[in-house]
Amino acid sequence: MSLAARRSASAMRGHENVKEIAGSAGLALVALVVWQVASGLTFVIPTPVETLRVLVANLGDPAYLTDVRATAVAVVSAFTVGTVLGGIMGLVLGLSRWARLIFEPLVIALNGVPKIVLYPILLPIFQLSGSKVVMGILFALFPVLINVATGVREVPAVYWKLGRSVQASRVQMLLHIILPTIRRPLLTGIRLAASLAVVGVVLSEFFATRRGLGRVVLQSYGHGDYAEMVATILLLIVVSFTVSIMLWRWEKRIR
Amino acid sequence: MSTIQLDDIRVEFDTPSGKVVAVNGVTQQVPSGGFVSLVGPSGCGKSTLLAVISGLTRATSGQVAVGGKAVTRPGRGIGVVFQEESTLPWRTVQENVQFALQIAGVDKGEQVERANWAIDLVGLKGFEKSYPSMLSGGMRQRVALARTLALEPGVVLMDEPFAALDQQTRIFLGAEVRDIWQRSQQTVLFVTHDISEAILLSQQVWVMSYRPGRIIDVIDVDLPEHRDASIVSSPAFNQLHNRVWSSLQEESKRGFRQQETRT
Amino acid sequence: MMTSVMGGDVEPGTGDDVSIERPDTESDRPVQLPRRWRLSDPLISAGATAGLLVVMAVVAEVGARSGWWRASTLPATSTMLSGVAGLMDDPQFWSDLTRSGLEIGLAILFGSTAGLLSGLLFWKLPTLGRIFEPYLVSFYAVPMVLFYPLAIVVVGINASSVVILATIMATIPVALNTTVGLNGIRPVYLKLSRSLQCKPHQMLFSIALPAAAPFIVAGLRLGVVYALIGSIAMEFVTAQAGLGYRIRYYYEIFDNDRMFAYILVVLVLSVLLTALLAGLERLVVKGRTS
Repeated sequence: MSLAARRSASAMRGHENVKEIAGSAGLALVALVVWQVASGLTFVIPTPVETLRVLVANLGDPAYLTDVRATAVAVVSAFTVGTVLGGIMGLVLGLSRWARLIFEPLVIALNGVPKIVLYPILLPIFQLSGSKVVMGILFALFPVLINVATGVREVPAVYWKLGRSVQASRVQMLLHIILPTIRRPLLTGIRLAASLAVVGVVLSEFFATRRGLGRVVLQSYGHGDYAEMVATILLLIVVSFTVSIMLWRWEKRIR
Repeated sequence: MSTIQLDDIRVEFDTPSGKVVAVNGVTQQVPSGGFVSLVGPSGCGKSTLLAVISGLTRATSGQVAVGGKAVTRPGRGIGVVFQEESTLPWRTVQENVQFALQIAGVDKGEQVERANWAIDLVGLKGFEKSYPSMLSGGMRQRVALARTLALEPGVVLMDEPFAALDQQTRIFLGAEVRDIWQRSQQTVLFVTHDISEAILLSQQVWVMSYRPGRIIDVIDVDLPEHRDASIVSSPAFNQLHNRVWSSLQEESKRGFRQQETRT
Repeated sequence: MMTSVMGGDVEPGTGDDVSIERPDTESDRPVQLPRRWRLSDPLISAGATAGLLVVMAVVAEVGARSGWWRASTLPATSTMLSGVAGLMDDPQFWSDLTRSGLEIGLAILFGSTAGLLSGLLFWKLPTLGRIFEPYLVSFYAVPMVLFYPLAIVVVGINASSVVILATIMATIPVALNTTVGLNGIRPVYLKLSRSLQCKPHQMLFSIALPAAAPFIVAGLRLGVVYALIGSIAMEFVTAQAGLGYRIRYYYEIFDNDRMFAYILVVLVLSVLLTALLAGLERLVVKGRTS
């Protein structure tokens, strides 16, 4: 009975999953149909097919690929540095009562601030190429920082006692107790950091940069080349959406 | 007038692994103003039977009547005290106790009056303005009890209300429940897995078997009306304890084995 | 920020005001200072924050005055403050403030309403909730602003394109948190409401919403922050008016003093809003934790 029960239960859950994925895909299809209809109503919206054609053509264009690379490099660096920096700062804030008392209010306050307005301040310091990475780091940093700090603070008391009773070293404590315990909030932070790194970099590119997809979007907007604009927005959204969904599914699995 | 009448109750559940019979062939009666405890191994269907009487769960077949009226859904005449923590953390003690009255549409003045009476009854005077988070588990369960009593139901159903509390608190609260019952003469059905508690509190103990839950023994508790903790060392108490335990032992083992093999 | 059950991003009261003491060695330190020598934690935090701000102000003042960096990179504190004072009787500033305030206010209003209603809907129809979940979860982190150029093409460079996108940004955390909060209601409360024969509206207003309130309020707080961040960011990209737009404008015409005054105002206003929301949240969850 036990095995059969478990098998049928998991089959049921699998069935549910399939239904939900189908539902979510259906929703995307509905959005596509709405897009198609909307493109018929106004000339400023290109059709899905036209957009896809431009996108494919773009991806074969070396100049466009240079922009893709510029944005990708900036995003990946911002994400990496932001996550590591945020993780370390989060650990410090979570572990030290004094660090928390002194810095937490400022951290929370800064998190609620539209950080993009600081971009003009960054420009003279980090130049055109560096500023967007710094902005991306500022965007990516906070979710990791706050989730790690909160996660560490909520590590159950008994785990600390366990660590002390087996005389775990600080490193062992971190690797074998703290990190496994906070893995869920940490992953959530990382997922948000990935999306926010994209937003930070592209917003900066909207403002000012030499190369990058944000600049392509605004330039094609200026030229009235809406197919190019939508194709580029679509590329950015689809990539960050896919990464986000993958991280989210991973997060759900390790629950 | 508030007799609980159970007539051939059967409850089945559909689960992914097939049909489970939780309760089968229960025909019993709690006389008006009586105090009956229901004991049985964990997972035997005690709570299910209680849910059927309260109208929260429908029996697959059979009849439940309270005060001569068939129970098909929850009603005002039946109060339930849950096993789980059920105080509302966003309300003060006073507001928690008034909650049931407020839902019932009792007017404000009477709400306050009856809540005060119930708060006094369960010994929470002075804590009216406290939030549940400031109280101990035992006190929170008193709040839940007061909330039920404030409705002045003819029948009070208690589903292992003290299961989460420590031994001393249980004994203390048990004595108070008995005290309140003796004064109010409400009909009480009390579910527990603690044999001593069942004997100490009630006039009659029903022993339930492991799945499907049937009543396999009914034991009248012929102890003096006034009972204190010293009674547990009396020969009469021990005799009753042994009788309940011998009925229960086989069932507990059977239940334990089935649960072990299931996982 | 928040960690969720549904999306992975929600937990009430995480971030600034978690009162759960860190269960570490501090509590069993052998020596403790006498009670009267210990300042209360909020006091230490407030003092430290004020101290840090003063230090930053002094460093900015001294640094700019003694030429550690060019004054155009970061002007002296006194220059920025007098710039802010200058804004107070600048009608342009007040119209920008009104414009941004209106956009943010409308986005908060529409976003909270839409978020609450969709949260209730996803709670009542769980399958629908799970179908929408992946989208809500991924748009949570706000790549919504990337749609802004598209929005201005379709709707035009005006307040409504900002309001539309900021509304969507505010809706998402409210919807997610409301759903998570409602789905997390302890089953015993549902039993209680059935046993007391609660009517649907009693169930909703006396049990479901209060029980989910910590999550909902956390969601509302995020929604407000996102509406603010989104609106300012979109104005900053391109617009005709508003605080974000004016920062860009003064950057482009090299009016550094005014640009820094605007930046300072935006920072201060958002910090005030955050503090206000944190206070509001504390009020709602009062009494729930000892």
